[in-house]
Amino acid sequence: MSDSLDELIICSKCHKLHRRVKLPHKKVAKCSHCGNILYSSVADTMQKAIAFAITALTLFIIVNIFPILKVTIASEQTNLIVPEMVYIMFENGFIVIGSMLLIVVLLAPFIVLLSFITLGVLSYLKIYKHFARKIILFLIISRQWAMVDIFTISILVALVKLFGYAEIHFGVAFYALLLFVIVDIFFLKTIRPTELWIYFDRKYSDRKYSKGS
Amino acid sequence: MREEKYIRCPYCESVNESKGDIVYCRNCKNRISGKKEINLQNAWALLIAAMLFYLIANLNPILVVVKFGVLSESTIMEGVVSLWEEGNYPIAAIIFIASIFVPLLKFILILYILINYKKPTGGSRRVDQAKLYHITEVIGPWSMIDIFVVAILTGIVHMHNVKIVAGVGATAFVLMVLLTMLSAMSIDIRLIKEGKDGD
Repeated sequence: MSDSLDELIICSKCHKLHRRVKLPHKKVAKCSHCGNILYSSVADTMQKAIAFAITALTLFIIVNIFPILKVTIASEQTNLIVPEMVYIMFENGFIVIGSMLLIVVLLAPFIVLLSFITLGVLSYLKIYKHFARKIILFLIISRQWAMVDIFTISILVALVKLFGYAEIHFGVAFYALLLFVIVDIFFLKTIRPTELWIYFDRKYSDRKYSKGS
Repeated sequence: MREEKYIRCPYCESVNESKGDIVYCRNCKNRISGKKEINLQNAWALLIAAMLFYLIANLNPILVVVKFGVLSESTIMEGVVSLWEEGNYPIAAIIFIASIFVPLLKFILILYILINYKKPTGGSRRVDQAKLYHITEVIGPWSMIDIFVVAILTGIVHMHNVKIVAGVGATAFVLMVLLTMLSAMSIDIRLIKEGKDGD
């Protein structure tokens, strides 16, 4: 029964049931009802994702070390550094907001990137299969809580509020943040959970993933 | 293939048979579906709590500016109005949509799904509800924009004479977003599927 269930896939958007088919190179399988992409041929998609995760992690470290904005108000200058911003929320007694920020802007994105890289290393060496499975699950759950893209839009909104009152200079972390969001949106968020599992199956089993017709 | 027989694991996307009160994924062993009545009660409780926090968040200041010891507070709606009056129409629209409209839309969508489970409306189809549920999952996190803006302003403006801090409304808003997300998570796909045909 399990084998026959492995041949099926349900659309995450409209929950229509489909039978898996083996895809030619660089092709995608779409839902017959709503057109949502179900999975793609993952020959090199995951390899790229893992490589880009290393790039994204480097950018993420820059984002969190250097100032995003340098703001001068009434001849006093302050810098916006993400971990410092979270610390200020805790310092002001806003534990709930501080904790939420800590999770969605710092921890979750970091865990996602680290999971991608660890998965890449483990699957390349073909070791710790059970641990790699846990990492995929952890990655899928964590990335629901990573909100760096929304945070970036918020910076732009905050800038509008500050224009007129302050002199604003963009720090090196601002450009790193923009690059990070681009890499995240185009190379990491496009990886669907199904593709992670297909990659896992391929790497940890000798048989080729050729379910369905 | 009878589609109702199968259920999708939200964690690993494996297809599982929908049998028994509680369904565990055959692949990742996570719980896909719990007891329906308990899920329903959880979803209702979390939704009502979220709605209360939404009220608190909108009635209390989200942003407090301390300028030379003088406090000036503003609620979400006051912030939107002030941006609009300053001519920042797109930003005012973004904040309005993200902070006022999106949470309301999410409440309505979740309410619709929960009510439809008990009293299915004639014209509704399962697919429509599944899509609605998908929409709530996608739009939910965007409500956080205003909170991020408050945090960024707090992180920037903390001088000797001028300081921006978060208001009580901001904490209530974060709790509202969290509770709404948890309420949506309590709705498993079996509730939606069975909502089509009723009990």
